[in-house]
Amino acid sequence: MSSAKKSDRLWTWLLLPGTLWMSVFFVSALALVVALSFGRTDELGNPRFSNTLENIRGILEWTYLRVIIRSLVYSVSATAICLLISYPVAYVIARHGGRYRNALVALIVIPFFANYLVRMYGWQTLLSDDGVVMKRLRDLGVSSDFHILDTAGAVIGGLVYGYIVFMVLPVYASLQRMDGSLIEAGRDLYGSPLRTFLTVTVPATRAGAYAGIVLVFLPAMGDFISAQLLGGPDNLMIGNLIQDKFFAGQNWPLGAALTMTLMLLLLVCMFAYLRQTARDSREAAR
Amino acid sequence: MSVTTARPEPAVASAAAGTSRRRRRRRGSGMDRKPRFAVAVTALFFVLLYLPIAAVVVFSFNTKKSLTVFDGWSLQWYRAFFNDRELTHSLGTSLEVAAVAMVGSVVIGAALAFGLVRARSRLGAAANAIMLIPLITPEIVTGVASLMLFKGVYLEPGLATLMIAETTFSISYVTVILRARVAELNPEIEEAAMDLGASRMQAVRLVTLPLMWPAMLSSAILIFTIVFDDFVLAFFTTGVSPQPLSVRIYSAIRFGVQPSINAVGTLMLVASILLIVLALVLPRLLGRHGSGLDLFKS
Repeated sequence: MSSAKKSDRLWTWLLLPGTLWMSVFFVSALALVVALSFGRTDELGNPRFSNTLENIRGILEWTYLRVIIRSLVYSVSATAICLLISYPVAYVIARHGGRYRNALVALIVIPFFANYLVRMYGWQTLLSDDGVVMKRLRDLGVSSDFHILDTAGAVIGGLVYGYIVFMVLPVYASLQRMDGSLIEAGRDLYGSPLRTFLTVTVPATRAGAYAGIVLVFLPAMGDFISAQLLGGPDNLMIGNLIQDKFFAGQNWPLGAALTMTLMLLLLVCMFAYLRQTARDSREAAR
Repeated sequence: MSVTTARPEPAVASAAAGTSRRRRRRRGSGMDRKPRFAVAVTALFFVLLYLPIAAVVVFSFNTKKSLTVFDGWSLQWYRAFFNDRELTHSLGTSLEVAAVAMVGSVVIGAALAFGLVRARSRLGAAANAIMLIPLITPEIVTGVASLMLFKGVYLEPGLATLMIAETTFSISYVTVILRARVAELNPEIEEAAMDLGASRMQAVRLVTLPLMWPAMLSSAILIFTIVFDDFVLAFFTTGVSPQPLSVRIYSAIRFGVQPSINAVGTLMLVASILLIVLALVLPRLLGRHGSGLDLFKS
């Protein structure tokens, strides 16, 4: 049919501008990062393409490796805490929210659209040593040696605060979709609430949890604001190194190599996620 | 908060109570006893979610320059913001960039969405992959990559690079949202219009686009908000002179206490919240008009 063919050609033409745009401004830019991570700097400090492995070797030095490991630890902890908080929150909203359900979900989503920097800045002022929170704690008798700002805990807390919405929403969606009678069945079989939750609810909603894990871990690994505003100089993450290499440090090839490392780590995580969801859907089909 | 208040046990429960010590209830809705621990976690969660926002808002009205002691109400930091030529200029830059990225990404994204749903060529699969990569790339990687690309083609960082980078970043979001809407449309409506003598362009203009407007409008508002608030990508692609507001805020934070940041932050918060509520509500408001064609939906 010629008219069908003609309309198919129209739809294919519509693909072109977007595909071209993304290829030029995104894919080729990513390729540049990969290429420059094998580059070097000339005498003037300008980046030059090359085929050296010097940057890769540089990353494996303890100064950098330590920061990469720290970023992994912080991001994994933040993701785990998000998961622990999201289940009760999503459960309460999904099963006990009643007619306020949509309003409560909106209340979670709205702050996420408020400027991230400003929200982190809010925490910084609250948690600083003479801030409102610390003053209350001192009044309650907490020793003056105790600090929150400039600790690992503050950075992890910042990451949790910044990205938890990405965990609550998918977990909420899968709890919402889950058949509530499964939970009743668990209780009817004399499972305690906790046991029913762990052996019935969590496995039935694991697709949402997996999605949440990826959605939190990905941006947390690339974050540099939480570490900068809440962590101080001793808690830097890989994002801070990258930022430094492109601005203050002016070593673009090393920065590119760090960026590529970050991408590779996240690709591995993505790959594991896709394999797991594929396995789950195969099992569900059986 | 309304969720935390325990509702009185319904009378039905008392009948079952005799048979079960554990106060199990069999009801169609599947509601069991409120897990008190989970409710407490939820309440704390909401308090912490809004605590830093409340701090920024409250201290923006402080008379003192302090961020720790609240002294009294005043609007001086708002006046300071509007009298600061650099900051108001930055506000203009942010609005400009957000507007350009919004229009650019909605136009390109809408075309891409139609192509992805309806084209049966091999290009579709490639376009789909290319469109999805930005969504799984951390923003800092996008920022670094854009910075290198612009440097590579000797494009000075400034307004143009900002607009290009933010548009690129936004296209994926728009496409994902609009693709879902296009997939819901029934192509037979367009064919019916053409059978009745409309040209393809007329069919698209008179039949398809009116159905797409609400989704396009709300994704446009969404993108405007995201780009207006965006910091990371802006930080990597902006130059020295026209700097967007979020980059200015960043340098101000690094240089220490500046209560006018609280005022700017509060204004941005109010604007973002209004826009997001609009984006959530608008499709519902518009959806009632002219949706009669949805009767064709199977």
